[in-house]
Amino acid sequence: MHDGADGQAAIKAELQTMQMNVNADAQTVDPLIFYMTGKQPGSGRDALAGKRPALLAAYGDLTRLRYDFPLVLIEGKTNGAPIRSLSSVVDEMLQKIAPPGMESEQLRKMILRIEREIRTLAAAGESGRLSELWDKVATRLEETDEAFGKSARIARAAIEIDGVVLDCCAGMATSFIAHLWSAVQESKAQKFRATVSRLAVKLADILRTDYLRSPAGRSAENLQAAVGPAHQALFDFSAMSRLLSKSSPREALPESRRRRIESALAVLKSQRFFAAAAGQARPDRSAEPYSFGFDNCADATAAYQARLPELAELVKAMSIAELEIDGTYVEAKHDVIFSGFDAGSLSPQDTALFPDYLVTLGAGAPALDNAALMAALSSEVPLKILFNVGDLFEEARAGDGHFASGLRGAQVAGLAAGLGEVFVVQSVSSNLYRLRERILRGLSFGGPALFSVFSGVPEQESSLPLYLSAAAAMQSRAFPAFSYDPSAGSDMASRFSLENNAQQDTDWTVQPVEYADPDLQRIRQETAFTFVDFLVCDPRYHRHFVAVPRGFDIKRMIPAAQWIARSPTESSDNVPYILTAGGDNVLSRAIVDDRAIGAARRCLENWHRLQESGGVHNSHAERLLKREKQIWEDQKRQELASLKPAAAAAMPAVVAPPTTPAQPAAAEAAAEPEAKAPERSTDEAYIETERCSTCNECTQLNDRMFAYNANKQAYIADIKAGTYAQLVEAAESCQLGIIHPGKPVNKAEPGLDDLIKRAEPFL
Amino acid sequence: MTLEATHCLLRMYEEHHNLEDYQGGVPRWCTGCGDNAILTAMQRLCRDNDLRPEKTMFVSGIGCSSRLPHYMHTYGFHGIHGRALPVAEGIKMARPDLNVFVNTGDGDCCSIGAAHWIHAIRYNMNMTMVLHDNHVYGLTKKQASPTSPRGLKSNTTPRGAYLEALNPLTVTLGVQNASFVAQAVDWIPEVLYDILTAAFRHRGFSFVRVIQRCPEFLPNMFDPWLQNPQKTLVLTHEHGLRLSANLAKVYKNQQEHDPLDLEHARKIASVEDPIPVGILYQNPEIPCYEDLRLSGQLRTTDYVRAGLEAEFDKFTVWPTEQEQSKPAA
Repeated sequence: MHDGADGQAAIKAELQTMQMNVNADAQTVDPLIFYMTGKQPGSGRDALAGKRPALLAAYGDLTRLRYDFPLVLIEGKTNGAPIRSLSSVVDEMLQKIAPPGMESEQLRKMILRIEREIRTLAAAGESGRLSELWDKVATRLEETDEAFGKSARIARAAIEIDGVVLDCCAGMATSFIAHLWSAVQESKAQKFRATVSRLAVKLADILRTDYLRSPAGRSAENLQAAVGPAHQALFDFSAMSRLLSKSSPREALPESRRRRIESALAVLKSQRFFAAAAGQARPDRSAEPYSFGFDNCADATAAYQARLPELAELVKAMSIAELEIDGTYVEAKHDVIFSGFDAGSLSPQDTALFPDYLVTLGAGAPALDNAALMAALSSEVPLKILFNVGDLFEEARAGDGHFASGLRGAQVAGLAAGLGEVFVVQSVSSNLYRLRERILRGLSFGGPALFSVFSGVPEQESSLPLYLSAAAAMQSRAFPAFSYDPSAGSDMASRFSLENNAQQDTDWTVQPVEYADPDLQRIRQETAFTFVDFLVCDPRYHRHFVAVPRGFDIKRMIPAAQWIARSPTESSDNVPYILTAGGDNVLSRAIVDDRAIGAARRCLENWHRLQESGGVHNSHAERLLKREKQIWEDQKRQELASLKPAAAAAMPAVVAPPTTPAQPAAAEAAAEPEAKAPERSTDEAYIETERCSTCNECTQLNDRMFAYNANKQAYIADIKAGTYAQLVEAAESCQLGIIHPGKPVNKAEPGLDDLIKRAEPFL
Repeated sequence: MTLEATHCLLRMYEEHHNLEDYQGGVPRWCTGCGDNAILTAMQRLCRDNDLRPEKTMFVSGIGCSSRLPHYMHTYGFHGIHGRALPVAEGIKMARPDLNVFVNTGDGDCCSIGAAHWIHAIRYNMNMTMVLHDNHVYGLTKKQASPTSPRGLKSNTTPRGAYLEALNPLTVTLGVQNASFVAQAVDWIPEVLYDILTAAFRHRGFSFVRVIQRCPEFLPNMFDPWLQNPQKTLVLTHEHGLRLSANLAKVYKNQQEHDPLDLEHARKIASVEDPIPVGILYQNPEIPCYEDLRLSGQLRTTDYVRAGLEAEFDKFTVWPTEQEQSKPAA
């Protein structure tokens, strides 16, 4: 939650005397009995009517705060940011036209006032685009002060974006996710259109080239049409046609290839998975692009299955097109493959290039069957599911204040993460903006994804704004945020994240509450915000609380956070309490019953599990660390023990130098293994082939004695194919001196004495 | 956007070519000419990297060096004197999928083609340029070139060349955006091949100067270097060249040099004796011009037509309303 309140409200404390709400028949409630049974005598008045958790007391009017909301769902060019907060848009605009300084202070104030008014309109439920709301507010404010109009116009001109303004309302999560999903699909569509356009143009070029080289293409009529009317009189098209027909190659496109290209082209042009670009008409107007938004998994899955053959045909056509354009289509090999190409030939990487199926499960949807949802997520259908969690609290079938094993809505995301290959994000609606990059990543993920969002206690049930109750759910660990990204790495440390949760390493978040005591002294008290505090946000569960009766010893009251940390079996005469504040800004305590405490314990266990997954207080790591530490300590103790007698006997104890960790062996420079030079006698004739520069000197002398190997470097192919004189001559003419004539093989060759003398420098 | 299906299918189509498959015409170079070594190294490169002949292009200017495209069984363009580079750049812009090599000589590149050379380095388009530097105009029978040593007597410098030779390495390293500069000698074919391979694999404009022999007009010029391996300084590095064990035994004069160190590269380039051989500079981060200019817009006929119409409309003289309303004469 933003701590943006204008100072802390002064709250009078009832430390010594607690006001008690006396019930109708004047019977007092025994706190201990209430704690144990959850029952209070009489009609059981709502002790928390009009109250909220003490930590939320300062957040009276959210429209006076400058925080993430409302958001602007940007239309058109987004520059990588499809959603921005109104405050960031205004900040950027102020940086441009009214940087900090005295000169532009007046302008800044006016623009910030306009922003506040827009925020108020959005909070009141008014919908519209930023430009519309801006103009509306500016017109209204101009009636009271003309300067507003001028400032508004200056600012309006500096805003380069526009889009629907969205406050943190009941349908916010749906609009948020749908907008981001559209942005991701549009990005895919652009890439797809670029690829398919290129393929279609290139395929058309092949057909066109073939036509131009055909007799019809070279006919006089066609040539005349190509030149156009302006200069036709200058040419003799018949002669041109005769000339071209004689000189050009006669090969035409094989019929099978032509059919293949035409078929692939037709499939590319008639695809329905992506809409045509703005301004471009579809060739087949009757076939509208497919829709990919659904409100239940079954319909989405059925649509995917129905479209799979068409998808396979499209991928096949694209593959054929790539091969044909590259000139690497080999009918003998590829015909067999493509004849059997079907949906089973598609890989997940191929389907990831096409649109995902967005399924929005509303809060009012029929009771969700977790098993069906898990089955849909593990079916390899590219689903992106938004699961709106309607109500975090579920009573057990036993009813009457018993919580179920409960918090079922909060468990869906955890179950989905357990599937392993599903991208999961769990968050409250107030935190969605901060998680936008991660959500974008999830929407771009190649496999299925689940976004589980709690939008706050329904407004008809609670007087708190949705933003506050949603934020309270996250702060109290009732609905913590986490994400699981299978593509981030192979281990949990890479995949699982608890980012954005405050104070991740503690059980409960702790924030200060400041108030004034009866002597009007400021007191600051660190207070934990627990699940029980969150229950206060929902009047339907106020029956789990009761006001403190007059005269009850406050020393017998333990803060709920401390109480939850105790063992459930520990007996006590004390009772747990929480701090609340009313509309009159009076701080008071309320006693909590055991049912609510039990639910809080289960919530805490759930949080601990998430912490383990996120690497916080990981029990395995902590045990391993403890074990290793123990081993190290024992080892050190033994070493010290072994040194003591020797030290005592001789000189003053000299502490043995700490054992240096074994130095990593110095890495030897990787040298190529020395090739063992073949043992050669000086009598043998040879060429240092690897140093030959292919100058042809020796091969021109005798191309049977000297030949080139596969690398066109010379070697002695047949010593008997030439004379010793030629060997010596080759050695003398080789500029690199790599020919070694050795001793003559034929002892009867004439002039050997002279030749041997000439060969000496080369031996 | 790549389809997994196409990936697998493309892998099915594998062509393997032997060295002979890249051999075009029989070379007419003199026996002992260094161009033969360069040709062999290029053919080995094509074979070892499985370059498809129909996707490979050799572009040359005029000179002995520029005969090379005729001897490669690939596409080739034997252009006019000094203009190999602009042709190669045009080919690359129109067909970025082709493997483009440029073969040019010391006269073709450093004299008439100098301007193109400077700007080709700046553009850093993805191609490999091989400068066959034999220090003389050989095809036209011995005239002094920009890299001829001072004092060389030739048909155009009968009293000896008056000027110090131009150093192509220092010139290239002095141009902005240079991304790959290397030097090889034709008489160490293994190193020549390794350098050309590194040049081909570098994404950007790879400049390789190959000091080569001309047995006809400068037959003994490089004898001291041929006969004394110590006069060759081999630059080695884990990101550069590595000598084989056999070669390391012969060429013991080695120096560790990081190809990313531009300052040191410039110092090494200034030294001419011993001849430095290896990769002097390599920076893969320099962007290529064709990538910077990639519009992403598909050039369809309609798109080109619309563009042309828009341009022509700027010069069109439109009739006034009055003229339009007059009846036709």
